[in-house]
Formats: sequence, C-alpha cells, structure tokens
Amino acid sequence: MSSLYERIGGEAAVDEAVDIFYRKVLADDRVNDYFDGVDMEQQINKQKGFLTMVFGGPNNYTGKDMREGHKHLVARGLNDSHVDAIVELLGATLQELGVAAEDIQEVANIANSVRDDVLNK
Amino acid sequence: MSGHKVMTHIIFEGKQIELEEGQSVLSVLLDNNYEIPNSCQAGVCQSCMMQAVEGEIPAAAQAGLKDTLRAQGYFLACSCQPTSPLRVMAANDMDLQSPATVVGHTLLSDDVLRLRLKPQSDFVYRAGQFINIWKTAKLARSYSLASVAQLDDFLELHIRRIPSGELSSWLHDEIKIGDELKIQSASGDCFYVPGDVEQKLLLAGTGTGLAPLIGIVRDAIAQGHKGEIHLIHGVRRHQDLYLHQTLLDMAEKYSQLRYYSNVLEADNDSQQKTNRPLEQQILDIAVEPAQWKAYLCGDAAIVNTLKKTLFMSGMAMGSIYSDPFLISAAADTDV
Repeated sequence: MSSLYERIGGEAAVDEAVDIFYRKVLADDRVNDYFDGVDMEQQINKQKGFLTMVFGGPNNYTGKDMREGHKHLVARGLNDSHVDAIVELLGATLQELGVAAEDIQEVANIANSVRDDVLNK
Repeated sequence: MSGHKVMTHIIFEGKQIELEEGQSVLSVLLDNNYEIPNSCQAGVCQSCMMQAVEGEIPAAAQAGLKDTLRAQGYFLACSCQPTSPLRVMAANDMDLQSPATVVGHTLLSDDVLRLRLKPQSDFVYRAGQFINIWKTAKLARSYSLASVAQLDDFLELHIRRIPSGELSSWLHDEIKIGDELKIQSASGDCFYVPGDVEQKLLLAGTGTGLAPLIGIVRDAIAQGHKGEIHLIHGVRRHQDLYLHQTLLDMAEKYSQLRYYSNVLEADNDSQQKTNRPLEQQILDIAVEPAQWKAYLCGDAAIVNTLKKTLFMSGMAMGSIYSDPFLISAAADTDV
C-alpha cells in the first residue's frame, strides 16, 4: 500500500501544485491581505513546505513552529474562516491536478490537524 | 556514534570534519557546534542553503533549487550526504574584498555614470550579478554588472547619481581613471543559464536596472541563444533612456532581439508619447506567460508588481528572475 505522498506524486507534485495553489491564494480576497508585501519567492518555499506536510511527505514541522510562524497573523485577526478558505483552495488545486477525492479528503484532514496550532488555540 | 564507518569529510572554515555514512553536512556541522540556519531539515525550506567551492555535490542536495543557484554550487546542507570530500562555506560568507582599478569613467546621461573597472586578480562573475563597492570599511553599495566575462576585459557598472547619496556622489565626483577601488565578489541569481536556446525571454528594467539586463542579453546572444529576446527599458523622462541608440543598434544587428522604450512622463520637447504601463506592456509581449522566462530589475516596487503580474498570468515562479534595487536607509541606493 503506497503512502498518500507517493499516491499524489511526491516532490514533483509539490512543485506542480505550489504555483497553482499560491496563485489561488493571492487571487482570493478572503485571505490575500495576509500575503501582502511578503517576498514571493520566500513565500513559495514556505508553501512548498506546507504542501509537503499536508501531502504526508517528509517534514519536521512541530506544533511550536506552527504557532511561532503564524503568531503575527493571529494578532492581525487570522481565524477559522481563513483556515477554511486555505483548505478549500488546497482542495481546488488538487482537483485541478486530478488527485482522487479520497486523497484530497486525507490532505484536508492533515491540514485541519494543525489548525489549532496555526490559530494559537 | 562510535562503530559507524567514517565515509569522507568536508572542509569548513579551514577545518576538516569527518562524516559518517549517511550523515548530512547539516547534521555534522550542528554536531560540531556550528550555528547553521535550518528549519524543516527535509530539503524544502531552503534555510540551510550553503555553497560548495570544491568537490562533487550529490544531486539530491540541489533538488528544488533554481538553476541559477545550482550553477553557483549552492546546495541544501540537510539533504547533502557527500560521498567524496567537499569544501563548503556559509551561503553569505562571500565577503572577500579585492582591489580593482578604474579604467573608464564616462557619463551616459545627466545622472548615469558608466564605470569600468579592471580587477587586479581573477574575478569570477556572471553578467547580471551584482558586486559591492566599498568606500570605507563600513560603507558599501551594490551595483549590477553590465559587462560579460567572456566578451569584456573590464567590469562595467551603471551608477545613477542619488541626491545626497554618499557612495554615488563619491563615484561620480571624486573617483577618476587610475584610482583603486575595493570590490567584493559577485552574487545574485539574476543571470542567463544556457539550456533551451529557443526559450523566449522577456527582460524589463527601470532606470539603471538596464545594466544587468544588457549584460544578460549580450551573454545570452554570445552563448548562442536563438529564441526571441524582448528588452524593455522603463524610465521617467525621455533623457533617461541612456543607452537608446546602443540598444536600437543591437536590435538591428541581432534579429532575435527586440527593444522597447517605455517613458512614464510625456514631455513637450520630444515627440515621445506617454507609454502604457509596464505591467500592461509585459503582458502584451508575453502573450502566453507560461512559455516565457523573465528577468526583472530596478525599482523594487515596480519589480515586485511586474513579478506578481507575470506570476498571476501563469508564468512559473521558477521562471522569474528578479533583482529589486533596494534603497538604503542612508538615502544612498544601488539604483
């Protein structure tokens, strides 16, 4: 039984998904304010890390990293509705890439598993 | 970890450090109490990027890096398990100063100086990268290279006079031919990488952002690039088109090159009309952005706008090379 990360397509899938996903994020008025003035290339690297994690790939992110990394955004009002939007855009990206529905659900589950850390709950 | 077989070694800061089988450069340096920036330790976040100056880099250590970074020997320490000796340095540990003699000092417009330097020792660079020039031990500014190593026996920089800019005023007013300057090795990832000779290239720069772009264009043509090359020079006033005739001549000589001037402010003296905004012009040229590579240099706000415009229109982020010129707090700048 292959892992979720392998089924989605591993590193190549991350590379393919990242531009599509980031484009959706920047185009979405619900969340794009939080990405204003951010260095786009640095952000792409962070997005790759995020996608690798939610695809079930190799990563060493900890709950503490998630809390530290989003603290300043929580102070600016980041809440559940924004996480919902990101999970939705993630799903739309994977759908575009032809990923199976049950795998998309599994990705959403992983994304939701870090929700409390991201929102510093 | 006794019992593990010593495989090979790395050389870092003049010390030889032995590596065990399967051990990464990052882990051995951390074990030896060096402070190396790192985060994901999975080859993704790129915060542990280092540079190899001698030896063979395992392919896995460069996975996901931009081609211009790979060409300079950058690699990710966390994914690097060398099988033969490797000499490595911190990615920012490039601050070796070397002397260079001024061999050319000519005004190209009312406020742009063309400075030509002859390094006194071998100087490795790629057209489009930037170097630092030091006035004092504490004051340096970055300037982009318009020259091409294979074609020119000097370094060429275009220096705009910045009102109250300490370094640019000094270079304009006090420095003369024969003087010696202290320069620092070239860096930056905005340069031409040979690969697909038919690749369509879009280059857009404002002000002296033209300097790296003309270097990249000449480099690409010298390396046999055949695909279309579209170069836009965006300026405020007509007289800021400081290489207008040179670029018209080049476009005449090389059929793959097209040159466009984009003047922001119309003036009464010339027939020049106000051009459409740069972000519109680049989309008119690169009709299917996903098929293009872009080089963007100059004013940071404009460069970032153009970058976002191209990305949102479908150009891959990995195909966009940019060098936003930052204005320093001291009112001097590398523009």
